[in-house]
Amino acid sequence: MEINLTEANGVAILSLKGRLDLSSGSLLKEQVKKLFEDEKTNIHLNLAEVEFINSSGLGALVSLMKEIRLRKGRLTLSNLASYVQEIFDITQLSHIFEIFVSQEEALNSYQTVNAG
Amino acid sequence: MSCYQWEFSSVTASGEAMLERLQAILEDNLVSPGEQRKFMLAVSEAFTNALIHGNELNPKKTIRVQLCINEDDLSADIIDQGQEGLKKIQSPRETDLLSEGGRGVRLMMYCADNVKFEQIENGGLKVTVQLVRKSIAQIT
Repeated sequence: MEINLTEANGVAILSLKGRLDLSSGSLLKEQVKKLFEDEKTNIHLNLAEVEFINSSGLGALVSLMKEIRLRKGRLTLSNLASYVQEIFDITQLSHIFEIFVSQEEALNSYQTVNAG
Repeated sequence: MSCYQWEFSSVTASGEAMLERLQAILEDNLVSPGEQRKFMLAVSEAFTNALIHGNELNPKKTIRVQLCINEDDLSADIIDQGQEGLKKIQSPRETDLLSEGGRGVRLMMYCADNVKFEQIENGGLKVTVQLVRKSIAQIT
């Protein structure tokens, strides 16, 4: 899996490409740990190019979400392909993640929260 | 019918290696993208179960994958060298939405048309997943 890191308005944006499974899930967690070291706790994951996700990948996302909540940050997701969205729906994880149609919409939500 | 057999050591990286081989075979056999995704997810869940709960990531233990593809269905046997795997499958952990694990069997059941769990002689678990083919991939 490739992970590309950018930043916009204080939100770290990780764009994932490839399969999100046991080994890439660990890689993602390591990457986010480095962000925590820089005190970055507002994190957006763009899943547009995730071509496969299994329960281990989902587990890694849940683990990240819990870590980020403990640090009073936010985790948002966007651009889920229909089959990835389907997996979130089957496992009911769509109820606990903040999922946006587009990255822009997700990033705007941080502005709204900060303004409020 | 085309059949294939692979053996992997029980290390984390084997999951990725198995999926690479599986996807290449499914593409070569013109399995539609939708069926590829469902079958790969079901096999991946069985494989991860074998890796973590069966062989407990012991690199000395192996996981065997036997794959058969024909016009009507796709099927795979995933066989580990663990102990009491069937018991572990029959008594799944309680999971809530914030659990990091415990979704594999549900996803396997959702993606495959048939899933069978069998205890084999040496104590390992054999999981058979079958997907009935409903569409033929379009060659573009």
